[in-house]
Amino acid sequence: MNKKRNIVTIAGWIFVVCLIIFSFINKAEKPPATAELYAMDTIVNIKIYGDNKETILKEVIKKIEEINSYVDSFSPNSDIYKINKNSGIKNVTVHPETVAIIEKAMELAHNTNGAFNPLITPLSQIWGFRDKNYRIPSEEEIKDALNLTNYNDIVISKNTVFLKKEGEALDLGGIAKGYTLDCLKEILDKMDGERALINNGGNILLYGTPPGKQWKIGIKNPREDGIIGTLNIEGTKFISTSGDYERFFTKDNKRYCHLINPFNGYPADKIFSVTVVSDKGYYGDALSTAFFIIGKNEALQDVKKFDVDIVVIDSDLNVFCGEELKDSLILENGKG
Amino acid sequence: MEKGDKLLALILVVIFIFAIGQYTFVSISKVKRTIIIRSDGEIVEQIPLNETTEVITTIKSKEGAVTMQVKNGKVHIIESTCHDKLCIKQGWISKTGESIVCLPNRISISITGEEKNEIDSITY
Repeated sequence: MNKKRNIVTIAGWIFVVCLIIFSFINKAEKPPATAELYAMDTIVNIKIYGDNKETILKEVIKKIEEINSYVDSFSPNSDIYKINKNSGIKNVTVHPETVAIIEKAMELAHNTNGAFNPLITPLSQIWGFRDKNYRIPSEEEIKDALNLTNYNDIVISKNTVFLKKEGEALDLGGIAKGYTLDCLKEILDKMDGERALINNGGNILLYGTPPGKQWKIGIKNPREDGIIGTLNIEGTKFISTSGDYERFFTKDNKRYCHLINPFNGYPADKIFSVTVVSDKGYYGDALSTAFFIIGKNEALQDVKKFDVDIVVIDSDLNVFCGEELKDSLILENGKG
Repeated sequence: MEKGDKLLALILVVIFIFAIGQYTFVSISKVKRTIIIRSDGEIVEQIPLNETTEVITTIKSKEGAVTMQVKNGKVHIIESTCHDKLCIKQGWISKTGESIVCLPNRISISITGEEKNEIDSITY
């Protein structure tokens, strides 16, 4: 009788210990559903957490591939390719999503007074950033290309798009990645996503709250390996960076980067990089490009207008940020 | 002690051992750093990364190939079939969250692991 009671007591204790251990295991994070894919001329890394992570992941991948098929200007089947091919000739019927992205691009072009320019392609072309045949064009070439960058020449009517002059060409590379993140956030909202991190070629969607309460996002060091600092971000946000280190060529010790100033036709060189933290993905993507063009002082003045936060790394590797981000930014070497 | 009790005790002991095993496994796997190599988006190799790891290996994809070297707890690419060689120019990576991507070859090398101050991702 006594022996039996002992066994029951021991069994009871084992049960309690098991419960405690199991509760610990449950607290340990379940691994996310992940995927890595190539779209929009870049790499996309996806991490989805929560109960329905696999279903959400499928939808997310589908959306990325869908938008990619509309905006890939190198693919003859894409809307953008067709619009560009028919510039100065006729309007082209495109998918409503393509119209939506172009409208957003025009909105940002107007709001940044042209610093973000979706018709930058002729300039990218003459500097060799389209075919990777890098070169310094002549003044004449630059002047001619500048004449093809008037974004008011984009005519949208219902689901058709027309570029008024022959030779004009859309490039949504500075907005489509961010716009895609907006669509992915919508999917996560609709499907009750718990938490996700999607890095679309350096443009990041942070969704939900991580276990440590804050997301830790590194900002690439524009001149050395690794990161220059870390941003601690709470909740759902979009982060985008534009820098002169991503695509560039060097001639006579001068660096020429792929982000071209649409006002003078030359690669922008005012700063090394700018990071934008925003509540809208397309904003972050396009504004990081625009801020890179206009430089530190003007960008810092514009943050209120667009309701975003920024981190600027100038050409002496000094780091600047607005008041809002001062406590969230931790630099690797304490400089700033 | 009745048959039912014995069975219950046995089940509980099994659960207990399983739980301990899993918990220990989870804790150990958290400490390690691992190099994850992906080709065309799929994981093709995982290499535990520590100060003494020394590896030189070539990774192939549909588009081409890169050769990477692991030394002194760091990783870099030493050869690539790509045109611009940006992956080689990127230099060494060592921290969790860092990665090297060869876009033209669609090959990525990233470091994962749960460290105290691990970053979640990098904006570039």
